[in-house]
Amino acid sequence: MENLMSLSPRQHWIGVLARARLCELQPHADALRDVEYQLIRAPEIGMTLVRGRMGGNGAPFNVGEMSVTRCVVRLADGRTGYSYLAGRDKVHAELAALADAHLQGTQPSLWLSELITSLAAAQAERRAQKEADTAATKVEFFTLVRGEN
Amino acid sequence: MNAQLLQPAFVDPVLDAQRGFRGALKALAEPGLIQSLPAAPSLEGLAPATYALCLALLDVDTPLWLAPAFDTPLIRANLAFHCGCPLTTRREEAAFALLGEQDLSDLGGFDHGNDRYPDQSCTLLVQLPDLESGTGLGWRGPGIETVRRVSLPLPHGFWLERQRLEAFPRGLDVLFAAAHQLIGLPRSTRIAEELA
Repeated sequence: MENLMSLSPRQHWIGVLARARLCELQPHADALRDVEYQLIRAPEIGMTLVRGRMGGNGAPFNVGEMSVTRCVVRLADGRTGYSYLAGRDKVHAELAALADAHLQGTQPSLWLSELITSLAAAQAERRAQKEADTAATKVEFFTLVRGEN
Repeated sequence: MNAQLLQPAFVDPVLDAQRGFRGALKALAEPGLIQSLPAAPSLEGLAPATYALCLALLDVDTPLWLAPAFDTPLIRANLAFHCGCPLTTRREEAAFALLGEQDLSDLGGFDHGNDRYPDQSCTLLVQLPDLESGTGLGWRGPGIETVRRVSLPLPHGFWLERQRLEAFPRGLDVLFAAAHQLIGLPRSTRIAEELA
């Protein structure tokens, strides 16, 4: 599914922040907001067109539109943080953008270990749980051999 | 794009963009009448009214031609971020052009539209130091009941150039901006005698 080796570290943490739940980010909200910052692009909700390919490699087609929230912040020292996430949660978008800005700073390892690792672990656990639930419903189809030859 | 240069734009993106668009519509509907855009943000090198017009009118479908005076990294970065408009160096490709008063004596090359689609012409956004310190001219035409006295501080060369390029219905529409104010000069306006 997702090949972590081909992602840059920043792509990885932006993806983790986008998939995180707001309740998982809220405990870090005070630490994230504890810095002077301005909103370059205040959190805004919009639509984006999702495209797909049949089987992953066919001709592209339009799957449909989904709501997306995005935000850009800049800290006082000039670092900018971006966030794009599915859904309509403006608080989540702002916190994710702040986290992206902090992660580009002088102590990325601190934020990585405190925030990203635990978020990623929780997401992996949710995913494994869902895959296990799905696997239990798997049905093997087979065709009876007809007596033609 | 240099993220260090980015600055916030409209405080309320939807309503402020609508106000800017409304201001541009009214300016072209009533040529010569000053419209004001009080809530516009400013950017170094661009007057608030000019920037508000850019934010309201430009998007990914409108190639913009920048006069050399406006072609700074700061303006480039912020227009690319907030408007997403492509920048072009070829005048004939531009849907909008951003000019200063020193660029007005040569308007050749901009798209005039064609007889079937005169609306496809380039729209000029011209930034001036102010809108009222020039020689008074009488404007006539659609949107003006009889004659309107307008005193834009423009070089004489601009009026000659406008006359030279006139080929109604083809032509160029111009929006003049200074500080928080705006004046429109559509192609249909006729410039009459100089008023003392």
